[in-house]
Amino acid sequence: MSDLALAPLQKWMQAVVTHPGDVYEAAEAAAIGVDSVVLPSKTLQPIQRVGIYHGMYMLRMIEALEADYEVLTYTMGGHAFGHLVREYVQHFPSRSYTLNRLGDRLPEFIASSTLKRKTFLADLARLELAMTHVFEEAEAAPMAADAIAAVTPERIESLRFTPIPALRLLTFAYNANDVFQAFRDERPAEPRRGKSWLAVHRRDYGVYRMPLSQEAFSFLGFLISGESIGSAIMKFARRFRRMPEQQDLFNWFRDWSEAGLFAAIAITEQER
Amino acid sequence: MNRFNFPDLGIGIGLRTVHYAHILDTQPDIDWFEALSENYLDTGGRPRYVLETIAERYPIVLHGVSMSIGGTDPIDFDYLRKLKELARGVNARWISDHLCWTGVSGRNVHDLLPMPYNEESLRHTAARVRVISDFLETPLVVENPSSYVEFATSTMTEWDFLAALAAESDCGLLLDVNNIYVSSFNHGFDPTMYVDAIPADRVVQVHLAGHANHGTHIIDTHDNFVIDEVWQLYGRACARTGNVSTLMEWDSDIPDFETVHAEARKAVAFRDLGNAAFGVLSGSNIKPLRRLTPDSRPPQDAKAVYV
Repeated sequence: MSDLALAPLQKWMQAVVTHPGDVYEAAEAAAIGVDSVVLPSKTLQPIQRVGIYHGMYMLRMIEALEADYEVLTYTMGGHAFGHLVREYVQHFPSRSYTLNRLGDRLPEFIASSTLKRKTFLADLARLELAMTHVFEEAEAAPMAADAIAAVTPERIESLRFTPIPALRLLTFAYNANDVFQAFRDERPAEPRRGKSWLAVHRRDYGVYRMPLSQEAFSFLGFLISGESIGSAIMKFARRFRRMPEQQDLFNWFRDWSEAGLFAAIAITEQER
Repeated sequence: MNRFNFPDLGIGIGLRTVHYAHILDTQPDIDWFEALSENYLDTGGRPRYVLETIAERYPIVLHGVSMSIGGTDPIDFDYLRKLKELARGVNARWISDHLCWTGVSGRNVHDLLPMPYNEESLRHTAARVRVISDFLETPLVVENPSSYVEFATSTMTEWDFLAALAAESDCGLLLDVNNIYVSSFNHGFDPTMYVDAIPADRVVQVHLAGHANHGTHIIDTHDNFVIDEVWQLYGRACARTGNVSTLMEWDSDIPDFETVHAEARKAVAFRDLGNAAFGVLSGSNIKPLRRLTPDSRPPQDAKAVYV
């Protein structure tokens, strides 16, 4: 029998429980034999008893990530997704007190993998991860929808916007949002290559997806990175070699204000 | 009453996402809720909003799964700081976690992994519980786990370990009678010995739950009704503790709120009977309980069971 002290015993057990192979492979790889550490019961051998923890570990990892990546799981198929998770947790095991953080690096893991369709799958994963993050972000009341209307015209260009924390902007190489929506609508959808742009945000504790044009995406990106309206217009002009249409600007601000994407506006002194 | 003067909150159930809408819409007549701490840390979204809303009407207890009380990694004070803030935010009546470890070397296995029960573990765990209680500024309440292995290095029973831990660290106890039953089956001990050996004045709360019996072993699945043998253990515990805050856990294949609440309410009869016996019987001379009826309800003359 082993006289393992507490710390090495815990390291030993963790290594066995989280081993990517089956429990017999885990036992073979362990520095100390299972029979030396664990007692048999009347009905189970030591390796069978440890096997209960070993089996539950991977099930728990897979279940946690299936919940966060429901559409990715459906798209890949349960078996392939389970295989992906087995690989993933070897590289990125949980280091948080909450399972909510377990999947944070799955999109980058997929992008660097040898999976077929990895660009599309990584797009889908980034969308679902953004939705998880937006769901959990700090709450902030959106500014009043008519707040901009109260600003005098000569100060409009100096306006800066504070976005709500629960807002993410995403660019995709594939139609990830269309595929996600098709899943929700229970209809088939094929991945199609082609850039798309999306804002994921939360309002009244619900998570929403707002498809954007490339122009709207860029302008909104300038604003939430801290540019004033005037500065954002100039950057937009440099990127697209034209000024934004006035009607577009009106529509964008109307939609973004109604969606509650901004928590506050401010006018900086030097630009007044 | 326990030695910490934590109140008897009555009969509660674990707060679960699938019941949020029902609770917010109907404000059911239930005594209290237990919330899983980790589900409400680092989130400013709907879960936190729901918990704070429910906490305005019902008493809340925070129950954690990641404190790693018996772990050999350093104590995670960032986690404890957030937990303390959450507890203040929802006016948690107390904070509990498990006698277990959850990972080492910076990793979290997200399981309640078993401890070897020996002097080294006892000294180590008691020291950590003292530090944690000091930090939280409230006595930590420690739950007995269910387990599937026993270590060759164990030199004492789990109940002796738990009693010694409570004495050395001055912590409260959350007695999970289903866990006692599960472990007694898996390890082959008499569960009544466990219940009878627990320092009753430190028991702040009791857990009830269902499990899955695989013949050779039992898994603590929290996905079913409470079996008769566990109800009997509960009654036996109540006879030692008097009325004690009692909570029904249901974490998988969760039925509607009313079903879970109805199962929890079965505890009232056992609790009342146990309370009647409390003060009359000492833990050492409680007679073995008769088997109860198959539907888990105590018979009409159930008082006779206890006297």
